[in-house]
Amino acid sequence: MEITMVVDGERVELTVEPRHTLADVLREQCGRTGTHVGCEHGVCGACTVLVDDEPVRSCLMFAVQADGSTVRTVEGLESDDGTLHPLQEAFVAHHGLQCGFCTPGMLMTALHLLDTHPEPDRETIRREMSGNICRCTGYMGIVDAVEEAARLR
Amino acid sequence: MNGSPLGTSVPRKEDRRLVTGRGRFVGDLQLPRMRHVAFVRSPVAHARIVSLDAGPAREAGYRVFTQADLGGIVLRAQSALPSYVETGQPALAEGKVRFAGEPVAAVVAADRYRAEDGAELVDVDYATLPPVTVAWDAGAAAVHDEAPDNVLLERTFDAGDVDGVLAGAHLTVERELVTNRHAGNPMECRAGVALFDPADRRLTFWSGTQVPHLVRNMIAELLGLSEGNVRVVAPDVGGGFGVKAVLYPEDVALCAIALQLPGTPVKWVEDRVEHLAAATHARDHRYLLTAGFAADGTLLALRADVTCNVGAYSVYPWTAGIEPLMAGGLLTGPYKLEHYRATVRGVATNTAPSGPYRGVARPASVFAMETLLDDAAARLGMTGVDIRRRNVIRPEDIPYRMPSRLVDDSGHYDECLTKALDAVGYDELRAEQQRRRGTGESPIGIGFACYNELTGLGRAASAGPRMPFRTGHDACTVRVNPDGRVTVFSGVTSQGQGLETTVAQIVADALGVRYDDVDVRIGDTDASLWGFGAFSSRQAVIGGGAAHRSALAARSKVLRLAAGLLEVDPADLQIEDGVVAVVGSPDTTIGLPEVARVAYLESNRLPDGIEPGLEATEFYDPVRGAFAAGAQVAAVEVDRTTGAVRILRYACVEDAGRAMHPQIVDGQIAGSIAQGIGGALYEHLVYDADGNLSTGTLLDYLMPTSAEIPELTIGHVARPAANPLGVRGVGEGGTLGPNAVLAGAVSDALGVRIDELPLSPSVVWTAARRAAEDAGKTPVEPGGRHSD
Ligand code: FES
Ligand code: FES
Repeated sequence: MEITMVVDGERVELTVEPRHTLADVLREQCGRTGTHVGCEHGVCGACTVLVDDEPVRSCLMFAVQADGSTVRTVEGLESDDGTLHPLQEAFVAHHGLQCGFCTPGMLMTALHLLDTHPEPDRETIRREMSGNICRCTGYMGIVDAVEEAARLR
Repeated sequence: MNGSPLGTSVPRKEDRRLVTGRGRFVGDLQLPRMRHVAFVRSPVAHARIVSLDAGPAREAGYRVFTQADLGGIVLRAQSALPSYVETGQPALAEGKVRFAGEPVAAVVAADRYRAEDGAELVDVDYATLPPVTVAWDAGAAAVHDEAPDNVLLERTFDAGDVDGVLAGAHLTVERELVTNRHAGNPMECRAGVALFDPADRRLTFWSGTQVPHLVRNMIAELLGLSEGNVRVVAPDVGGGFGVKAVLYPEDVALCAIALQLPGTPVKWVEDRVEHLAAATHARDHRYLLTAGFAADGTLLALRADVTCNVGAYSVYPWTAGIEPLMAGGLLTGPYKLEHYRATVRGVATNTAPSGPYRGVARPASVFAMETLLDDAAARLGMTGVDIRRRNVIRPEDIPYRMPSRLVDDSGHYDECLTKALDAVGYDELRAEQQRRRGTGESPIGIGFACYNELTGLGRAASAGPRMPFRTGHDACTVRVNPDGRVTVFSGVTSQGQGLETTVAQIVADALGVRYDDVDVRIGDTDASLWGFGAFSSRQAVIGGGAAHRSALAARSKVLRLAAGLLEVDPADLQIEDGVVAVVGSPDTTIGLPEVARVAYLESNRLPDGIEPGLEATEFYDPVRGAFAAGAQVAAVEVDRTTGAVRILRYACVEDAGRAMHPQIVDGQIAGSIAQGIGGALYEHLVYDADGNLSTGTLLDYLMPTSAEIPELTIGHVARPAANPLGVRGVGEGGTLGPNAVLAGAVSDALGVRIDELPLSPSVVWTAARRAAEDAGKTPVEPGGRHSD
């Protein structure tokens, strides 16, 4: 099937099979391997992207469902001149990542969190980020990072 | 940056690529002509394979490989321990399957979707055999013919006169404890890409492994390739925790398939369901314990019988001995004891193989030991704190020879415990606990654990159960390039620990250059000379030591060359931030770029007796290990009506020696505590009686999230260890405490014994009800109200 999406600001026209997940199409066909797949059953959150500004588990969405949508992935966070997004800066500064495998999903969830909760306290951050699993950090650095990024907004 | 970067939390070298989505994970690799592999896996736990029909799949155009197609390759994990029964693990099952999830055939197709379509077409006929899933079930069917009783290894640690001392002890405590099978479960599952180039018989294997050199060594041997023609590359790896320190049958199969499809890269990316079913599990143990105490709480003797469920296979290279031997060797932990007898055994069952998982056995054995202390304290009318203080190894006891003959060089347990108590506000918590007892509010309890983490083991106490190699050393090469910048080729690997950063800090410090001028290459067997990889909290000590030594060797050549160019004595020179200067006359300097340029490009300027090039390679082996002391304390609140446990405070204090990067050290500790909390409260791999895994997805296998993990307080007592950098490993210690701490806290809150883990709501609720019954009160129904 033919689909059209805008991925990180770039219009892409693709031929996909109905069974292809958005995650696989982003990774395999769009070359956007920054979006990771950790469970393929909707639990870990590693594959989180924003589809029309809403966080979506791209392993649970078929690519055909995203036809006509605007998709934002971790690869669109940095600006063209290489300046990191404040969330990215904060994750680096607060050791919000170790292996970095969960990080793309964490950043996209956090991006949405900051849009919807302008002044989140730590408890809110912990609750709102609880759909994303990190096996490495124990979450301390992640909560610190999101808290600081929210403060700097 | 001015001065040494060592000891400061410099920005990690890895982070820029990882936060921008430019990480280089194996699954991200896309190569021309790449094909994808899906494994056909056994749906049953124990069965004879009556027939395997790949015909329909092949007719549909799929490449299908069976064990016979791969030439019958078998992995054999070896150990020189006398009681060890060696068994083999085939790349793909042949004749018989031994656990649900075991790979039986491999299908190759243009993409993963199609490979899975093809796998559906492979028809395997199984004749089921009676499965055994519980290691202490007597009379079970044999998993391997070589071990009719399923015992793959048994060993007794024996010191002193246990029976005599127990008979005369003031108090004996007997317990039976069972710990829950769980797993490392890194967020990135296993993955591999194998490519064979027939022109020069070179195999490249990109693999998310923690042990690339060990993988190269065995893959070359199994496939009959020259070791130098096998290149193993572990690029960015999304967590390992021991699970990826194993060479798996899937790895071997993938490489063997690549040999049969020359020039075609074959890729396998494991999905989570496969991972939970077939990557290594851990911590499925039973402890039968009898401990004797004096009236003052002194631990006098301990008798233990420990059974570890090692699953269906003895994994390469760690064998079935890894958990039982660690449990027996370190059961007594940081406590002084003379009379000790422990029989430990590894028993095969029809479950996924067990292997190394962060902390190896000790999250379970620390739980066992601490439970005994709490039990004795309660009976003797002592506090948990006092009984630990009475028994811990102290600085004045160092070096302390444990009854298992390991030598503890730490001794700062009481100091760690005291700091941890302060951090949680111990006295205030006790007062609150007392207050609540009078009000009927949800009770709170406090739990403790003291532990010793064995790190950076050298050849004298090498990791693993007498395998055919000693894991005490690593190599590192430091190369000053013609432009004066530095590239380090280190044998370490990283799965999130930030080793690129740490190695760069060490080299920048020892060589005298800026951190930003050092680049580090790791995880590529073509680039680094040798490294055993990531396990046993060894890399900061051993890989770090090798980096330090090779940087010092490179520095010495830089100084000799510079001395010749400046016509001074090398002893009068120092290097800082890449500038060589004469001590005392700061105007006489030469920059590293000029020295390096002479070394490579201007041989006409080379001083007499100095060869071109600016590079050094050194090994390091600490010979002995460095123990790291640790203590954890937590307070929990228990909801009697639901059995839910809420962590109110959690503190951990460890002796990491000298912290090279404080943020990374704390991150290791926090992450390992979180894993320990997961194992203590939620994570449980459950097999039903037929041997089917009933927790096969992340919907059933519960991993802790930011909502469950509390704020953690992390403290340090920094006592430099006796190695060049003064460091102790910190990779695992955090995992050792939570089982004991949380079980102890729940037990303290409710006044009950905890005999099994995890502390699921049902286990806690049942314990609470038992306690209420014992107290003669009306039990509280789950979700209901007091009926009185
Ligand atoms: S990969 Fe989509 S939620 Fe885990
Ligand atoms: S940083 Fe490794 S899973 Fe989060």
